[in-house]
Amino acid sequence: MSDFYQSGSITTLHQLGKSSLERLEAELLGFSKVSPIALALPALYSEFEGPAMPGIVQELAKVKYLNEIVLVLDKGTEKDFQRVREFMSPISAEVKIIHNDGKRILEIYETFARNGFNVGERGKGRSAWLAYGYVLARGKSDVIALHDCDIVTYSRELLARLCYPVAHPNLDYVFCKGYYSRVSNKLNGRVTRLLVTPLVRALQQIIGQNGFLTFLDSFRYALSGEFCMITDLARVNRIPWDWGLEVGSLAEVYRNYSPRRICQVDIAANYDHKHQILSADNAAKGLMKMTVDICKSIFRTLASEGVVFSDGLFKSLLVTYLRQAEDTIIKYEADAAINGLKFDRHEEAMAVEAFTRAIGMASQTFMENPMTTPLIPNWNRVISAIPDIFEMLRMAVDEDNCTTHHLGSVNVK
Amino acid sequence: MSDFLDLILEPLQEVFLKFKVFLPNLLAMLVIMVAGILLAKVIRLMLVKSLNAINFDNWSDRVGMTTLMRKGDLWSKPTAALGAVIFWLLIIVTLMIGLSALRMHAIDNLVEQFFAYLPRAFSAAVILIVGSLLAGFISRAILIAAVNSGYHYSKLLAEAVRTLLTVLILAMAMEQLQIAPGIVLAAFSIIFGGIVTALAIAFGVGGIDAAKRMIERENGAEKKDEIEHL
Amino acid sequence: MNTVSLRSDVHEQIAKIAHADIVVGIPSYNNARTIGHVVRAVQAGLAKYFPTYRAVIVNSDGGSSDGTMEVVQKTSVEDFSVILLHHRIEPISKIAFPYSGIPGKGSAFRTIFEIAQKLDAKACVVVDSDIRSITPEWIELLVTPVLVGGFDYVAPLYHRHKFDGTITNSIIYPLTRALYGKRVRQPIGGDFGFSGKMAQFYLTKDVWETDVARFGIDIWMTTTAIANGFKVAQSFLGAKIHDAKDPGADLSSMLYQVVSALFDLMETYSTVWMPIRGSEPVPAFGFEYTVGLEHVNVNTARMLAMFREGLVNLREIWLDILGAGDFREVERLGELPDAEFDFPLSLWTRIICDYAIAYHRKKMPVAHLIKSLTPLYIGKTASFIRTAENMDAAGAEAEIEKLCIEFECNKDYLATNWK
Repeated sequence: MSDFYQSGSITTLHQLGKSSLERLEAELLGFSKVSPIALALPALYSEFEGPAMPGIVQELAKVKYLNEIVLVLDKGTEKDFQRVREFMSPISAEVKIIHNDGKRILEIYETFARNGFNVGERGKGRSAWLAYGYVLARGKSDVIALHDCDIVTYSRELLARLCYPVAHPNLDYVFCKGYYSRVSNKLNGRVTRLLVTPLVRALQQIIGQNGFLTFLDSFRYALSGEFCMITDLARVNRIPWDWGLEVGSLAEVYRNYSPRRICQVDIAANYDHKHQILSADNAAKGLMKMTVDICKSIFRTLASEGVVFSDGLFKSLLVTYLRQAEDTIIKYEADAAINGLKFDRHEEAMAVEAFTRAIGMASQTFMENPMTTPLIPNWNRVISAIPDIFEMLRMAVDEDNCTTHHLGSVNVK
Repeated sequence: MSDFLDLILEPLQEVFLKFKVFLPNLLAMLVIMVAGILLAKVIRLMLVKSLNAINFDNWSDRVGMTTLMRKGDLWSKPTAALGAVIFWLLIIVTLMIGLSALRMHAIDNLVEQFFAYLPRAFSAAVILIVGSLLAGFISRAILIAAVNSGYHYSKLLAEAVRTLLTVLILAMAMEQLQIAPGIVLAAFSIIFGGIVTALAIAFGVGGIDAAKRMIERENGAEKKDEIEHL
Repeated sequence: MNTVSLRSDVHEQIAKIAHADIVVGIPSYNNARTIGHVVRAVQAGLAKYFPTYRAVIVNSDGGSSDGTMEVVQKTSVEDFSVILLHHRIEPISKIAFPYSGIPGKGSAFRTIFEIAQKLDAKACVVVDSDIRSITPEWIELLVTPVLVGGFDYVAPLYHRHKFDGTITNSIIYPLTRALYGKRVRQPIGGDFGFSGKMAQFYLTKDVWETDVARFGIDIWMTTTAIANGFKVAQSFLGAKIHDAKDPGADLSSMLYQVVSALFDLMETYSTVWMPIRGSEPVPAFGFEYTVGLEHVNVNTARMLAMFREGLVNLREIWLDILGAGDFREVERLGELPDAEFDFPLSLWTRIICDYAIAYHRKKMPVAHLIKSLTPLYIGKTASFIRTAENMDAAGAEAEIEKLCIEFECNKDYLATNWK
């Protein structure tokens, strides 16, 4: 159980007491009659072979308030696609699988390219974007929720809490971000703890009061992959296709809606990803790329708000960030100590060093070319250029999903 | 002068002659190694394919082998893991055969010992696998039965049984491997006996009150429920 | 089809009788105290309501040592043909007592079916030998729908105490009803009527060497009748009062026997139940009246303690079967104080569905799986007792009806996950 402190410019919905999932789901079932809910799942085929997905499917099979589930399958062959369909068949909600490597969807990507849209490289951002597009194309849902497919401790309570604020007709929220503590026997979530928060606070220190920075700082877990939004937001938002996905999305939300209509919700008591074991070298590279992307995304957003970035500012930033990050390490050391968690101070300091280098690299790239935008255009713009794109997308997905065997449905009396 | 030259050349010649005798052996070994590695790879591929065909992963999920692996922080698929184990076993066997092709006395002995040891290692592995499955099964049965009869320390009891069985199985495996059999036997007797005695004392001394309560309850101190479940 | 080898003297008896319209089967095992009453009631019923029909009473005894068979012999009135036989019981069924207290009840029934077939009976009845509340009307009520109404299977309807038959009320009835779409209120009642055609059909099924014959014969008969499209009815028999059961009967093995038989039948008839949604009432005969409710002594606090004990000790097993979301819900239940304890119907429904699915997917050995349900069942029962404490019989029945609706609503979940 957490405290009930409200911080920052957005609303925080805590986990207070022991609310029953039964009640949440009953209410959600009612809400969903008025505003149907879709769930978007960006997934890699490899995740279906991992430990998390069976649990997720077992849980989703019991969810009754979902109108549709759109799973975007990346890196999967035709055979894999069929296997995934079989795998998802226990779920009673309508499941559509977008086969990213199928010939029909590849043709859709071709169409984007022909018409001058750069939808970026494959990844979670592009998958999510396509899932929104499909939900918009069908026009059958008013709310879209999204979460990762590698959550080992997945419980459908997570989904219920995520959807609730946006689906509730009397709570006027358009966007809801999930937060949770990532604690095992030590503190996880290093990028949020040691990069995003100190960086944002350092920028606040240098630039002074800034709406976006306050907004970003309000999020307890800005990099969490779980959120829920109204479909209109999916229409107007642009999504970065690189690692800046989470921060970039928040920037777009900030730009289009008042913070009063944004909230974050405590979604799970404990949360554990199980990543495939990466080689140290790869992990470092991945982490570096991720950090640089996140920093660039923040800089770009601030610049578009009118903040002037100069050489001097970046130089101060590095130092200010370092100070902030060091202070943060001390805070978390105490936090770990009182809770009896392992805490490797040296490792944390090494991470901060790496993050400092990343900030340096990001500022360099930004100074060289501030216009590099990894944003996928929003769907409104795509439609105006290719008016029939929704029709095409819908046909492609529906064809993919009904060509071969009939998806194990039963005839209802 | 030529004597001196002979003195130098003779050993060289000798080494060369010996090497000439040895060279075919070395080549044989290399060939065996290469063939063995290739064969091992093929066997692994076939094994994984056939295991996939019979849904080995599914089976392993059900009998709890996957869980066992996950507990050991092994996140690969059970088929892949088994394939890897077999592969490396074959590699070791190949290495041994290859070494024996060198026809060196010391190595020959080693190889002989290795092959003599193989059946024991195999049976020890079987004991470990079957034993751990059996221990899991029995301790779960005890757990469920104890819970259903309302015993408060069910988990403790089940864990104790599992520990005892694990000790027993490990001792059996070690005995099979002939790792210091005398010591293993003695250690096993001490540990097993110790655990049993400790439990007996713990339950005996600590459980007097509980036992009294239980007997009192059995004697009808508490009224039975009168509902019929069927 | 292999037939049971009836002893030669039985063959002779059958040959002598040659034909009968009604066969009444009474399987027994150490029921000397009650069986006399049962036999008298059956004879009176046959004499009063079916005087023109040829009737045979078959007592199939599982090796009683208290003189049950002598009692039957003595009670028999001259003008009835009574066949007495020991049915062979498998060595194993001596150890594995089925929940209804009769070892080898399945093979007893098989002999009764066979005799009915040999005698070319039109209607058959089986009644438990430990029923104290049986009246001559029971025979009429179980036979007439078959002889006159053209029904193939008549299940009983009893008035029971609102807290009795909790396994039937919270698992067997709701699940059978949701699965096969027929509202048969007492699928494991123990007293049934059925047609000769039905008996012949039962004989064609090769289940006599399985667990079904050993413990699950009641649910098997009911399910087989419904799932194969036979015409099913139920008759209101009044109160059901047994001779006192063996108090040592272990709840978890009782649960294991009935529930595993039910789940096993789900495997057999998966193509039948999959497409069915909703349910329809089954024609009922007899005059319904209410019986008084005496106070029953139950200790819900102890039941809840058992439930919580299960929660602490079986968490890994439950988490595996129920999944994280519903396990959390069960955990929440465990944290409630006794006075607020309330097992949500929907949660209970999902739990039963999850157990059925786990059974189907062979997640763990069947005995482990179903026995681990016991603390949950005890929790559910305690909750029901708390809810229905101040209700009359109709109120309690309405509660069960609500549960049934919940089961029917979750049918989709069960069907889509049964792969």
